[in-house]
Amino acid sequence: MTSSERYLRKQERSAKLAIWMAGRSSRNKTLVDKVCRWLVVKETTLPPEHDFLRDEFVDNDQGFDPDELDRYQRGEEIQP
Amino acid sequence: MPAAAPFDPQAIVDAKYTERPVKPGVTTKRTICQTCDIACSVVCEVKKGRVVKVRSSDNPIFRDNICMKGIVAPKGFANPNRILHPLKRVGERGSGQWQQVSWEDAIADIGTRLKAVIAQHGPEAWAVSTSQWNTATDHGLGRRIMNHIGSPNWISGVALCAGNTAAVNRLTYGWFPFGDFNNTKCIVLMGHNPRRHSWTPIYNYIRSAQARGAKLIVTDPRKSSSAERADIWLPLKAGSDTAMMFGWLKVIFDEQLYDKGFVANWTIGFEELKARVDEYPLDRVAKLTGCDPEMIAKAARMYATSGPAIIPWTPITDMQRNSTSAIRLQCILRAVCGNVDVPGGELLQGFNPDVINESEIEMHEVLSDEQKAKQLGSQEHPAFTYRAQERFREPTKRVYGQEYANLVMGCHMATPSATFRAMAGQGPYPVKAFFFLGNNPIMSYANMPLIIEAMMNQDLIVAHEQFMTPSAQLADYILPADSWLERPWLTDTFGWMSTVRTSEKAMEPPGEARSTFDFWKQMAKALDRPELVPWDTLESFYDYRLKGTGMGWDEFVATTDVHFAKPEFRKYKKTGFATPSGKVELTSSILGDLGFDSLPYFREDPPYDPSYPLKLFTGVREDGYFQTGHRHIPEMRKRHPEPIMFVSPGTARAYNLSEDEWVEVANELGRISIKVSVRDSMPDGLIRIPHGWWKPEMKQGAGHLSGALKYADAQLCRDDDEFLDREQGIPHLKGVPCQIYKVTPGADPARVEEVDAEVTV
Repeated sequence: MTSSERYLRKQERSAKLAIWMAGRSSRNKTLVDKVCRWLVVKETTLPPEHDFLRDEFVDNDQGFDPDELDRYQRGEEIQP
Repeated sequence: MPAAAPFDPQAIVDAKYTERPVKPGVTTKRTICQTCDIACSVVCEVKKGRVVKVRSSDNPIFRDNICMKGIVAPKGFANPNRILHPLKRVGERGSGQWQQVSWEDAIADIGTRLKAVIAQHGPEAWAVSTSQWNTATDHGLGRRIMNHIGSPNWISGVALCAGNTAAVNRLTYGWFPFGDFNNTKCIVLMGHNPRRHSWTPIYNYIRSAQARGAKLIVTDPRKSSSAERADIWLPLKAGSDTAMMFGWLKVIFDEQLYDKGFVANWTIGFEELKARVDEYPLDRVAKLTGCDPEMIAKAARMYATSGPAIIPWTPITDMQRNSTSAIRLQCILRAVCGNVDVPGGELLQGFNPDVINESEIEMHEVLSDEQKAKQLGSQEHPAFTYRAQERFREPTKRVYGQEYANLVMGCHMATPSATFRAMAGQGPYPVKAFFFLGNNPIMSYANMPLIIEAMMNQDLIVAHEQFMTPSAQLADYILPADSWLERPWLTDTFGWMSTVRTSEKAMEPPGEARSTFDFWKQMAKALDRPELVPWDTLESFYDYRLKGTGMGWDEFVATTDVHFAKPEFRKYKKTGFATPSGKVELTSSILGDLGFDSLPYFREDPPYDPSYPLKLFTGVREDGYFQTGHRHIPEMRKRHPEPIMFVSPGTARAYNLSEDEWVEVANELGRISIKVSVRDSMPDGLIRIPHGWWKPEMKQGAGHLSGALKYADAQLCRDDDEFLDREQGIPHLKGVPCQIYKVTPGADPARVEEVDAEVTV
């Protein structure tokens, strides 16, 4: 086996492990799942100053009021 | 609504990465946003039976995949003008006179009239236009019914956006790959510009990869936000992507940077390809693309030597006169550089073995060869029609276990332009019944005047819609459609990837809105074929599809955010590739057999026309809108109140244009009104036109179409031969000749804005 073949196999094992962990992390039921989730969170969390997904529209969203949505759907005037 | 809350970075960090506390009176549902085609996993918060908030998933692998369009969805679907009951046209087509009817009466009459069209003209006289991005619960049932009834004439916007890419990718290595962003060392964006609020997960992947040290190469005529972050930006001429890739291959071959072992063992046609590539020395490529030859060479070396590299899907090469060659060259670059089906490269995932996929549900095998041969456009432009794609039946069975793989819905389509010509009475046979679901066909394809003519020539038009779109205004029936908040969903990513995800139903649909599943179930009954959709409910249909998992829908959705197939790499070593030769076809045997050039080639622009000295590109998304939708949502309209054209400072000076000035842009096909915005990021001579503009508050009906006749870019998109890709028949939207005309307010009374006060935005 060549060194490039060995490197590729190592990459494949690593990628398979990552997908397995993502699957367990997504299930989040058993202790192993939760450990996987903790590791995934730890690995992927960026410090706030480097978090490129921070966005005012998203981060400040407080949702809608259900009664206001009802009035809007009926065509009644609502506060802007 | 986003509130003006104090911005506390630490609080945001804490909120993002921990389970949210349960709020009193609020229940949560794990859903998949279907506002656009990306399908972000999100959470809906429900109060008093309504979705009141859409936020990002608690699952770290989907973290922060949400944009402004998803956030405003609860208000968008609560719009007072949403269609909540079936409507039947009672005046002339396009008169705007409607009568509310029951679903049962509507379906019965539609069935009777559709059967009459089929009896008189044959089943091929029925055409359907849709996709499954937003109709979602179609799941191939529409194709299944069409295949049994005998119509091959299904068209979709995916013909010029991703679906055609999938079909053309198959020509080279038998499947449509997805890039492994998590492990890649180099990303090439060909004109694509994922952003925080558009293609959000892809933006997330790219930024994360860059944070890990991956290189970014961007080819784009304008200096996009991605170009600003790139290691190399190549500002090529619009539509010259094919020439650029020939230049890259020239460098890669001349400098021996390709994967010689893979090329020797797993490809056919290398010498012929190399000879073709030799026709493109860098000085010629520099002339064709307008880029510096040294920078072209540097980018080629970076792509070939950085380690596993990816060229993610891009809409840019889906929409140009050289589309097939451009997509093929992307495939060829991936292959010769050893990036196919390896970690960090481009993964050929195949079907998920545990779930019955949509290609199987569609049952293409029941449509006869005689009817397949009638598929519109397949003789002239066969690449994504049955005529080409039927040749993958044996190879696909050999590698992926079944004969038909309708990847991204794009592998067995009629060509849109040929279909509209037949609808207008200019085809080989008449098409007289037209259905569209979650689709605004007048504005979604090239040559809008032809599409309007085609629709006015129909015996029966049925729309399944949420709003009175310009296309719906010309229908005979409009049936009210549900939204993604109001239905469950199981997605296999349109057959493309082997991951399967679930979405819970978060609230009841309003009025009489029904799912696409219900629509097709009722249609099967109306056509006397109820056995084609035998499942009583969508949930029981999902039980059937999931039986391989050992779970029913209720258990699966309760326990599963994402269901992965067992990951494998370099599967071709066991099965070969799903091509006729079993290898990567650098020379396409299928294109050759069909009488086309089996190698990629570059068609230059038609001769310069001094009447239209500028070039426009369209198909561009604005963050607040997806395609032709969402202009009715006040929060989004405030962000994008009018269609805006981008021009360079040089072009603005040449035409004496000022910021916010209204102008008209025209070419041989049509004319639109648009506002000017002068941008440093734009090159001289090129203008950017946004896609899909109409205004729901403007006057409805034929001759007006809520402003579509004034603003829609489809009026400038030509579909004559010079502006169609030869193999696919899709239009050239990246560099269309045009001219800018200054306007005097009130000079043309016919084009004065007409506002219908009854419609609320």
